Amino acid sequence: MPMETKTLIGKDVPRTDGRAKATGQAIYADDIKLPGMLYGKLLRSPLPHARILSIDTRRAAAMPGVRCVITGQDIPRVTYGNWRLFPGTQDEYALAMDKVRFIGDEVAAVAAVDRETAQAAIEQIYVEYEELPGVFDVDASLATGAPVVHDTSPTNISIDRKIAYGDIEAGFAASDYVREDTFTVHAVSHAYMEPCACVAQSDLDGRITLWTSTQTPYIVQCLLASTMNMRENDIRVIKPAVGGGFGGKMELRPWEFCAAFMARKTGRPVKFTLTREEELAFGRRRHPMTIHSKVGFKNDGTLVAKDLHIYLDGGAYNAMGPTATFLSGNFGAMLYRYPSYRYLGEHVYTNKPPASAMRGFGAPQTLFAAETQMNIAAEELGIDPIQIRLKNAMVSGDELPGVATISSCGFVESLKEVRRISGWSRKRKNLKTGRGVGIGCYSFISGGVFNWFNTQYPFSAAEVRAFDDGTVHLLSMASDIGQGSDTVLKQILAETLGLKMEDIRLTAADTAMTPQADLGTWGSRVTLMAGNAVLDAANKIKERLAGAVSARYNLNVIFDIEFADGRVYAAGKPDRGMTFGEAVAFVQKTQRGEPLVARGSYTPRGKGLVSPAFSFGAQVAEVTVDTDTGQIQVEKMWTAHDCGTVLNPMAVEGQLEGSVQMGLGYALSEQFVMDGGKTLNTTFLDYKMPNAADMPPGESVCIDTFEPEGPMGAKEAGEGLASPTAPAIAEAVFHATGYRCKDLPITPEKVLKGLGKL
Amino acid sequence: MKHDISLTVNGDTYTLAVEAWRTLNEVLREDLNLTGTKLGCGSGDCGACTVIVDGKSVSSCLTLAVEMDGRRILTVEGLAPSGETLHPIQEAFIEKGAIQCGFCTPGMELSALHLLKTNPLPSDTQIRSAISGNLCRCTGYNKIVDAIAEAGRRMDPPSKTGR
Amino acid sequence: MPAAQFDYIAPTTVDEAVAALVNGGKDTRVMAGGTDLIVKIRHRMLFPTCIVNLKRIAGLDAISVDKKNGLTIGATALLADVAANKGIRRHYPTVAEAAGATANVQVRNMGTVVGNLCNASPSADNAPTLMAMGATVDIAGPSGGRSMPLDQFFQGPGVTALETGEIVIAVRVPPPPAGSGTAYHSLSQRGKLDCSAVGVGTMIVLNDDQCTDARIIVGACAPVPMRTRAAEKMLIGKRMTDTLIRQAAQTASEETSPITDVRASASYRWKMVAVLAIRALTDARQMALRKSTSK
Repeated sequence: MPMETKTLIGKDVPRTDGRAKATGQAIYADDIKLPGMLYGKLLRSPLPHARILSIDTRRAAAMPGVRCVITGQDIPRVTYGNWRLFPGTQDEYALAMDKVRFIGDEVAAVAAVDRETAQAAIEQIYVEYEELPGVFDVDASLATGAPVVHDTSPTNISIDRKIAYGDIEAGFAASDYVREDTFTVHAVSHAYMEPCACVAQSDLDGRITLWTSTQTPYIVQCLLASTMNMRENDIRVIKPAVGGGFGGKMELRPWEFCAAFMARKTGRPVKFTLTREEELAFGRRRHPMTIHSKVGFKNDGTLVAKDLHIYLDGGAYNAMGPTATFLSGNFGAMLYRYPSYRYLGEHVYTNKPPASAMRGFGAPQTLFAAETQMNIAAEELGIDPIQIRLKNAMVSGDELPGVATISSCGFVESLKEVRRISGWSRKRKNLKTGRGVGIGCYSFISGGVFNWFNTQYPFSAAEVRAFDDGTVHLLSMASDIGQGSDTVLKQILAETLGLKMEDIRLTAADTAMTPQADLGTWGSRVTLMAGNAVLDAANKIKERLAGAVSARYNLNVIFDIEFADGRVYAAGKPDRGMTFGEAVAFVQKTQRGEPLVARGSYTPRGKGLVSPAFSFGAQVAEVTVDTDTGQIQVEKMWTAHDCGTVLNPMAVEGQLEGSVQMGLGYALSEQFVMDGGKTLNTTFLDYKMPNAADMPPGESVCIDTFEPEGPMGAKEAGEGLASPTAPAIAEAVFHATGYRCKDLPITPEKVLKGLGKL
Repeated sequence: MKHDISLTVNGDTYTLAVEAWRTLNEVLREDLNLTGTKLGCGSGDCGACTVIVDGKSVSSCLTLAVEMDGRRILTVEGLAPSGETLHPIQEAFIEKGAIQCGFCTPGMELSALHLLKTNPLPSDTQIRSAISGNLCRCTGYNKIVDAIAEAGRRMDPPSKTGR
Repeated sequence: MPAAQFDYIAPTTVDEAVAALVNGGKDTRVMAGGTDLIVKIRHRMLFPTCIVNLKRIAGLDAISVDKKNGLTIGATALLADVAANKGIRRHYPTVAEAAGATANVQVRNMGTVVGNLCNASPSADNAPTLMAMGATVDIAGPSGGRSMPLDQFFQGPGVTALETGEIVIAVRVPPPPAGSGTAYHSLSQRGKLDCSAVGVGTMIVLNDDQCTDARIIVGACAPVPMRTRAAEKMLIGKRMTDTLIRQAAQTASEETSPITDVRASASYRWKMVAVLAIRALTDARQMALRKSTSK
């Protein structure tokens, strides 16, 4: 499609909920207050691994103001987990049944008339535990005779995934240079600003409505139905405004179950709101990994073979770990052409808070290892790090045999652009000791084609209702959690129908009102998948309206019908047309009052096992290292990335800058300080995510590509960018000091140790 | 024991009886239904609960409501001069893409207001320092910094910017 | 997390405050800004039965800078006001800098310098400089008033020399001696604008290039902000060369007894005391020289 015809696509359209958020009117889950509402509170395990011998709730239940107390004994014995295609992976109960497996495991819940009473009641529940020995890292968990976290997995390995193609042994034999390294990466918090919260209400028929801070209303609906022993249609999940998710809000969680279950029991609405301490001490986190990587090159830098073995420290439950295990193997094979490749990923249980999906879904870890190893190889082979990447870079049409085909790909252009804008060649040669530049790259998925949730609906769906006043109503289950997808979906629809943003009413993410289904916001799937669903519905509306105009003006069938400025008309003959509203009225008349409605959907088919489209990009960091204190100052970041057609440059830039903040924290300052299974830093004072003063300035370029599978050529933006920052900074630190970090985060202490000063 | 307090919030005077241990954040959100003020951490580290008390930005999660007797409080709901007109800070936040999930936005805007009242044309470094007590996980802060600078220019009397 | 339940008194005079504390007993706590106290209560680390708010006592927030009597910072003077005070910035610049480097804007708009001292955290950002400058605290109590050097005030983490019923009503800093220079350097893992994992405050006095007095106070490396007296002794009576500064800094480091916690390891802290002491002493020397040449 020629760009010059676009009025909204490619424009800095401000987000449509901006006003509500700027004025404080946007309603988040904890802002909801219903008549008679009770306040819920969870009792959590103080032990990392223990058998529950008994729970005495009598004193709590007898307290004035306490309306309900539940334990695992009161709820259906139904396990849940997002991988419902493989029920064996569903390893969680909403409340612990026989055993607790991490400090914070949910044991009981209370609903009371106010928060103080709920808290007081929690403290009056007495649990007798038989403490069991725990395992707190992968090595301990895999050791012979180690305590078993789940009886169903006697080795503590809950799942493994393999990928292999090419002749790897021959590849290494033919290599001039073989490099083997072990990298370790740590857990970090999503640290979305809005702690999880939900309100559940049981209606007059006993059906449940749940307002919850989630990325995946449909998944919550289905899993809540199964754990409550209810039918899916008896559960309505509504996503209010959500204060960020980053992968941390994409599963059914115990408070959602407990709110619904207790709302049903008491007949009163129940609200749960987590504290920041609960989030940091017990919340989901990014997988720590131990990554063994062996790569073979020719002397000229050509990649020949790669053997990758990753242990994921999954914590106490699978959560989204199986997906991360699979994706890590794919990310390990991305970016470059590996003629032979072998991957084994093993997801290991430990007695720690479960790791799960977090922005990048395995990529930040895997690509830290891959990109650092690429930088090591460049150093040792005497080749410039960008040059060695250009030599091996994936291009459009490349394949991961049996797994994926790369459609649009602007990686080479990204490398060249970032080299140019950063002044790379000059800086690599001339910077003084203590100052350095480094590069890191990424590739990422635009939604997954895998269907572990076993949905029987399209992956994304949309409904468009057109009205004779010239407006349309878009209904979509896609979940805007801050990234701006509501705005982008409206842009796509308005552009397609020739309407203005304000002509579109949107109802989103209400499972009883919006079309089935949408798998939610994760894996950078919304723009591509929901965008395609909207486009599909919009095109069906267009077809009907075009027919109407054609009939009304008796147009030759070869005429194109245009949609612009709120009008529908014959191309090149603007007088042969009518307003959008008139066209809708016309269609409606022809069908005797039947409203003009169209459904659209998108399900990737024939797109391999991973994703219909892949984004690419390269990032350069410049750092100054204080070699006395080990402190690292990131001076500037340069990014060139290929996200296909840029639908909204301001939104894409916002995603990029947010990624840099998260990547910076991942690289340098964010980590959980653990003592066995206990998280010690449970406040933002000591969980150190970058603040405004820590952020480096940045410069970025979007590489112009067109993704044939994406709506209007668009694909992923902003999640893949969580990956390149850490390896870029690590390489810059190496360039500045000679210290090579293979163990994130790059703390001042590690720098000093690396320099032999500590 | 409950304490009788009288406080002014966004120009409206409220007379309330509050328990000593309740925070300003709780009273604003629960008693006055002013839910624009958020709670992100409860320990004064994230700034999502920032409000203005007698001209100074404070963390409402660490402020006891009982202390607010006789004080004048401004929350995000009182920032816009009317339902139709937005405050220049709000306009700039929307236009510059400074808002994503929006949870930090009310606190950010009030920290911006506190800064711009005493320093209408702050430098980039001054803005970053002024909002270093307001965490954001979505935007990477740069667009927020741009928005605050832009709001400062819009709020500053033309006679001064013209110089 | 909901707070423990407590009562609240807002006296309007120091005498009333003292009486409230005496009557309330040990579970009655004084509050100025509340930025530390409320966090501790809400994290269920403290369970007071009553809180005595000092902020309604008229005049207790006074700041005075006086050539003869030095600097007085009242108990409820805000960190923000200390950081912005023109007289302090001019005559006690490091005091203003430390106040301005404490926590974030909102906390500085609520919290006080005296509160930061009374909280008695080993990492309190305001303590090292004030101790280095020979500050004293003025205390009001049931048996009248008393004063005490700040370096005797801290007894352990969260523990001060205050007796039941006593309140710090001000911290006083003597006029900086002629030829003096001060500096405070701190570090944390995040880099900028953060709570400190290590801090070093210093004041040195030069007569020509001879050091006639020196104080080096290290924060977050012992149960209390601590004076490193052996290091100080090495400087006094000598020419303050770079070599001597390095040696004294090393000695200062050896005097401390840091621990490993969530913010840093003991060995890193040890190392950083020396690095920060070099930087602080060098800056203090520069300030002293600048002052003497500008005279």
